[in-house]
Amino acid sequence: MITSFFLYIKGYDSCVISIYSIIMLLKKSVLAILLLSLLLCVSCFEDTDFSQIEDVSLSPVVELDLIYFDLDASSFYDEILGEEILTVRDTTVVDFLNGTDTDEVLKKVALFFKFENSIPRSFDITFEFLTIENEPSYTTSTFVPEGSVLSPIQTIFIEEIELEDLVQLKMSTKLVTTVTISASDQQLTGNLNLKSKATYYLEIDL
Amino acid sequence: MVFGLFVSHSQNKQLLYNWEATQQSLMLNPGSIVSYDSHIGIPFLSQAHTNLGSSELTVSDVFADDGVPINTKIEQMILNLSSRDFFTATQQLEILSIGYKTRYGTYISFGMYQELDVIVYFPKDLAILAREGNRDYIGYPFNFDNISFRGDLLTVFHLGFNEKISNKLTAGIRFKLYSSMLNITSTRNTGTLTTTRTNDTPNIYQHTISDLDVAIKTSGYTGIREIDDDKKAFRNLVGRAYFGGNLGLGIDLGGTYEFSKDFRATASLLDLGAIFHSQRTEITSARGDYTFDGVELVFPDVESGDVTIPAFDNFEEEFKKAIPIDTSSGSYSQWRPAKFNAGLHYNFGLRLGSKDECDCLVTTKNNRRRSQIGAQYYTIFRPKGPQMAGTVYYNRNFNKDFSVKTTYTVDSFSATNIGLGFAANIGEVNFFLALDNLLDLANLANANSVSLQLGFNYIVGKE
Repeated sequence: MITSFFLYIKGYDSCVISIYSIIMLLKKSVLAILLLSLLLCVSCFEDTDFSQIEDVSLSPVVELDLIYFDLDASSFYDEILGEEILTVRDTTVVDFLNGTDTDEVLKKVALFFKFENSIPRSFDITFEFLTIENEPSYTTSTFVPEGSVLSPIQTIFIEEIELEDLVQLKMSTKLVTTVTISASDQQLTGNLNLKSKATYYLEIDL
Repeated sequence: MVFGLFVSHSQNKQLLYNWEATQQSLMLNPGSIVSYDSHIGIPFLSQAHTNLGSSELTVSDVFADDGVPINTKIEQMILNLSSRDFFTATQQLEILSIGYKTRYGTYISFGMYQELDVIVYFPKDLAILAREGNRDYIGYPFNFDNISFRGDLLTVFHLGFNEKISNKLTAGIRFKLYSSMLNITSTRNTGTLTTTRTNDTPNIYQHTISDLDVAIKTSGYTGIREIDDDKKAFRNLVGRAYFGGNLGLGIDLGGTYEFSKDFRATASLLDLGAIFHSQRTEITSARGDYTFDGVELVFPDVESGDVTIPAFDNFEEEFKKAIPIDTSSGSYSQWRPAKFNAGLHYNFGLRLGSKDECDCLVTTKNNRRRSQIGAQYYTIFRPKGPQMAGTVYYNRNFNKDFSVKTTYTVDSFSATNIGLGFAANIGEVNFFLALDNLLDLANLANANSVSLQLGFNYIVGKE
């Protein structure tokens, strides 16, 4: 295509000469462009310190729902056997802490539990975290005083976990929740309600 | 005849538009007035220059050595930027450019150039989420439409026709064949992630992903992803510059209307076309709604044994079911970012080659006036809507061989963009250099964008 175009132009010889002069010009222009690029890209960034990029860190605080339950008073009485059930237990896999992703960046966890008790009995609540081998890694417990259907009692329990305790917590894969009622009978009414969240304090260095 | 080298950082080439002293104005308006008989371009290999342009941010905003901790500056940056702010990198390299005037007066031009065009909108909500988390943003919907970016690496083959239709009107059309080497796109995403706190939910919060519809489309990437050797990958990529399979079609239209010899209007519409991606494509998408309340403890009966509830697995399974992530190799098409230019141009002052104002007898081709002023308008159609720029300029022709153009431009990048270009004929070689943002040139760290255009032309039969 180029050749045919060369022929189209009047004066084939002058065209060849032109190409030579262009190549000479090109050599100079490459130098000029390199110099100009250097000028543009390097020397003109004044009063800046790009090494600051190493100091960049993100410290998001993420709040997520944790566990919840709503236990009816009847859960603490066995109708068939006609006897009280003083302790109920739940074992749940909570594998999300035990990841390599969270290992480095998780600096602190705050657990927030909000109980609302309308059962006229007090409760002992234990949260026991277990490792994959079912060894206890972290345990905490709280007391919920008795309430009534007309005026339920609200109890807030906050547990902040960091440093060594956090290392233990991170090894957890299971959570065993044990709810123990002080005493129970068939006539007992009301609910024990739990809502909870976890606040994760992360620190991510770029 | 023209030997062309062309390097640019910005899609807006306000300095070159309607600047008759350079041949490049024909690429910006196929209907511009051509004042030479032929030109030829020669394959040129140069290092590609790319640079960042940013609508709001400068390098020194973040990296200034001013004692302020960088994390404070980043916090300020996130606060100041909106999700409509963007970063762009554009680079073009003309590889071949040939043109000649036929005996019927039509100027035919054709050639090939390579283009890199990247635009990334600032994903403000995700930046907030990553930096601060959701604790202080309860009830605030983090919007996935903040994710919007697009990158194209392609070669363009073009063939244009330019003709003086009447005394007053010159019109032109350029047909373009796009050959895409690489494309990555994620635009038109929707959906929100919200943490709400109300009393009628089972737990303290409710985390909701609603109306999620996000997708990343790539073409040309799957072919090179598997190649470990960088050189091989690069060769593979460059190999697609010539009809690599993902082709597209487009046209440029333009015209010049001369109200009088000294007053004209110009307009052009560039890259009105699309690329059809069907080879080496990958579309990854996620769609759906999901609500998370935490894990409900069920306290199984003692009789059923020591049951462990696999809450985490259940959650994963539920989530995957609610928001499935699909990867397919379907085809997709994509509009090119079309550009629109328009201008009004007025010539005044002495005519070139004349010594006084009364040069009525000068009727030769050398009747350009010494000065031209004008106003130009530029729009590029980007994923989140058009980006506009307005320019006023002054162009001085010192003689028929030396021309200087200076521009003042207001655009998304800045309101203090002064540009300067000069074009000179040395023998039959025409050289031009155009630089943007002169005020910031002393310290690029303060510049929002930088643009450089450079060319060597060898022209036959210039008026």
